[in-house]
Amino acid sequence: MPDTPRIAVGLATCGIAAGGDRVYNTFETSIRERGADIMLTKVGCIGYCREEPFVNLQLPGKPLVILHRVAETDVDRIINAVTNGDVPRDLALCRIDEWDPIVGDPLRFGTGFEDIPAYQDIPYFAPQKKIVLRDAGLINPEDIEEYFSVGGYTALYKALTAMSPEAVIDEVITSGLRGRGGAGFPTGVKWNFTKKEKSLQKYIICNADEGDPGAYMNRNEMESDPHMILEGMLIGAYAIGAQEGIIYVRAEYPLAIERLTNAVEEARAHGLLGENIFGTEFSFDLTMAEGAGAFVCGEETALIASIEGKTGRPRPRPPFPAQKGLWGMPTNINNVETWTNIPVIISRGGKWFSKIGGEKNSGTKVYSLVGEVQRVGLVEIPLGTPINALVYDIGNGGIDGREIKAVQTGGPSGGCIPATLFDTPMDYEHLTAVGSIMGSGGVVVMDETTSMVDTARFFIGFTNEESCGKCVPCREGLKHMLMLLDKVLTGKGTQADLDLLEELSSIIKKTSLCGLGQTAPTPVLTTLKYFKDEYDAFLKGAVT
Amino acid sequence: MIHIIIDEKSCAAQEGDIVLSIARREGIDIPAFCYDESLAPYGACRMCLVEVVKGARPGITTSCTLQAVDGLEVLTETPEITRLRKALLELYLAQAPRAEALKALAKRYGVTKTRFARKVVKEDPLQNKCILCGLCVRVCGEIMGAGAINYIGRGQFTEINTPFYEENEACLGCGACAEVCPTQAIALEDIASTRVMKSWSETKVPLKQCAACGSFFAPVPFTAYAYEKLDPSIEESLKDLCPACRGREMARKVIRTFQG
Repeated sequence: MPDTPRIAVGLATCGIAAGGDRVYNTFETSIRERGADIMLTKVGCIGYCREEPFVNLQLPGKPLVILHRVAETDVDRIINAVTNGDVPRDLALCRIDEWDPIVGDPLRFGTGFEDIPAYQDIPYFAPQKKIVLRDAGLINPEDIEEYFSVGGYTALYKALTAMSPEAVIDEVITSGLRGRGGAGFPTGVKWNFTKKEKSLQKYIICNADEGDPGAYMNRNEMESDPHMILEGMLIGAYAIGAQEGIIYVRAEYPLAIERLTNAVEEARAHGLLGENIFGTEFSFDLTMAEGAGAFVCGEETALIASIEGKTGRPRPRPPFPAQKGLWGMPTNINNVETWTNIPVIISRGGKWFSKIGGEKNSGTKVYSLVGEVQRVGLVEIPLGTPINALVYDIGNGGIDGREIKAVQTGGPSGGCIPATLFDTPMDYEHLTAVGSIMGSGGVVVMDETTSMVDTARFFIGFTNEESCGKCVPCREGLKHMLMLLDKVLTGKGTQADLDLLEELSSIIKKTSLCGLGQTAPTPVLTTLKYFKDEYDAFLKGAVT
Repeated sequence: MIHIIIDEKSCAAQEGDIVLSIARREGIDIPAFCYDESLAPYGACRMCLVEVVKGARPGITTSCTLQAVDGLEVLTETPEITRLRKALLELYLAQAPRAEALKALAKRYGVTKTRFARKVVKEDPLQNKCILCGLCVRVCGEIMGAGAINYIGRGQFTEINTPFYEENEACLGCGACAEVCPTQAIALEDIASTRVMKSWSETKVPLKQCAACGSFFAPVPFTAYAYEKLDPSIEESLKDLCPACRGREMARKVIRTFQG
């Protein structure tokens, strides 16, 4: 721990939007003008969006104190307090005495400030288990040295020097880790598909084309801790036998692109990318690719087409990317969050990981809890945690005491789950059983003031807009679904329209080419199932 | 050699053969708009659905992307497939209300009208007949190597045309696009010495005139492309002749050779 005080401002996109950059600039000017012996730096986001901007204060020998809702006008008195070895109590959200970065040794900040609530006593943080977000909001994402200080790249060292590629895959299989992009396919098994292909050239890809409305887990993972993604990919490449990797990020995430690009350059400068990494036979390098605004490019085959410079349109599988992927070569694609779990699994072991979460659903999941809920933000909890715990214990229920009606999980491919089913454990199987999906982790909360028909219309409008237009059920079917929903919403709909809406949903689901179309009708099907009365209330004659 | 079963009929095939191709050569009719054996499987029109009853992935899938493995068993007309196909045909009828070939197929399935709002575009270059099967785009790119046309926009606003709706000199004028179009949506016309690709932003391609009879017989860029591909090539003096005059000239040469 440094012996000068350290002030760190939360500067992920969310923190910047809340005014964090102005706070940072004011600190910079003020510290310079005073000539104060204070180290100023930036960190990512700790995930409690409602309370931003955050400022971390780290006084030598003292706990790390997290200040919340900090304004530019608070800067001077913060510096005054820090110079006097203190922190402003009214701005303090919580203190962290010790932190487990999962990989590497625990960080012991210090003791004292016992009148400030401890991190683990804050209701928003208490039920959370940070594995993916182990460093988010604590380290400077633009400084590889800070990643080293939390055990960064030690898992890679272990894999390259003490494990065979097969042993790495076995460890990932033992962990039970499933793809965090939404489908939940076992990661180790997927790796084996590409590993087994005979080819001189193989690729791995990080899918960072996060596009679900209201979902921003991956953005924060990239902006707050980019090196953990690189480390996960390096370990994966070693296990699979890939020489090149590509991180495909949507262009709408400029800061994530900037920080990842910087991380790649830093890693290369430290010999962590390139030839003979850690003096071993293993060589690997990474490049960045930017999306161009199409949601469907999150689909594996469309993503590959996009990297190749073609129109982002899915193609039928098989052949799977593991057989014929990028440039016709075997390719393994995983979501950002999947990669972030890899260093942990190698460091702590697959068995350790498999004990977190529920049966066949090991590990944690990061959710973006948004919508009509009091405490919005990024939440990381073990898989299998019931919806209740997320919405009420962590989210603290509806705004202004309003009653929560439903949550939409899994973005536009997911469904609306009514409050009566909030005891459903959030894992791949249980969410599917109630008609929704896990998806990438977006959770949109809706209260009594939200019309469920309008919600369904919003999502169909989204998928209709994002349909690539290749196959007829998705291209034409969604268009007509949208027209039917508009008809219903304007009070001109009939029972026959509702029947047609339901029939069309089934047709699109069963005949579409890719996952976008196959899942697009889910918001309509679930709202028709759980909130049929709201549709009926709109029907012709029912509106008064 | 392996065997697969299509509608209870055992069919010999090579492993990896496309099931739709096997069905066609066995005389089993599976409707499809976007499939052509000479092109890579595309899977867009969704008409060729079959139900896999025995195989690695049982369930309904497109036969144009399904590869044969020994013992594979599929059904081409179950009540569920018919239901899905009829609904897809209704969607097509709404999208391309003037496509006669489409209407004929729909009629075979007993679909004579659509419950969906019909889309009629005034002055549509594709005459309200295009179902976006993509055959024209793929034949132009994959086979002819011209890539003169492509998709524009996405989703329900997808269209096929030349870039920026401008005349495109990459067009060879070969007309392969019109030839493969399942709904005869593409219009082209030869007017005197010019071929006008009416559907493709009125792209004009000069026609080659026969040095002997003076008739216009083929687009200039297309003949250049074809002559370049021929190996061995044909004699220079024959390149400027229409097929009829070329035949005559070649016959004359043969006779001259015999006469010494």
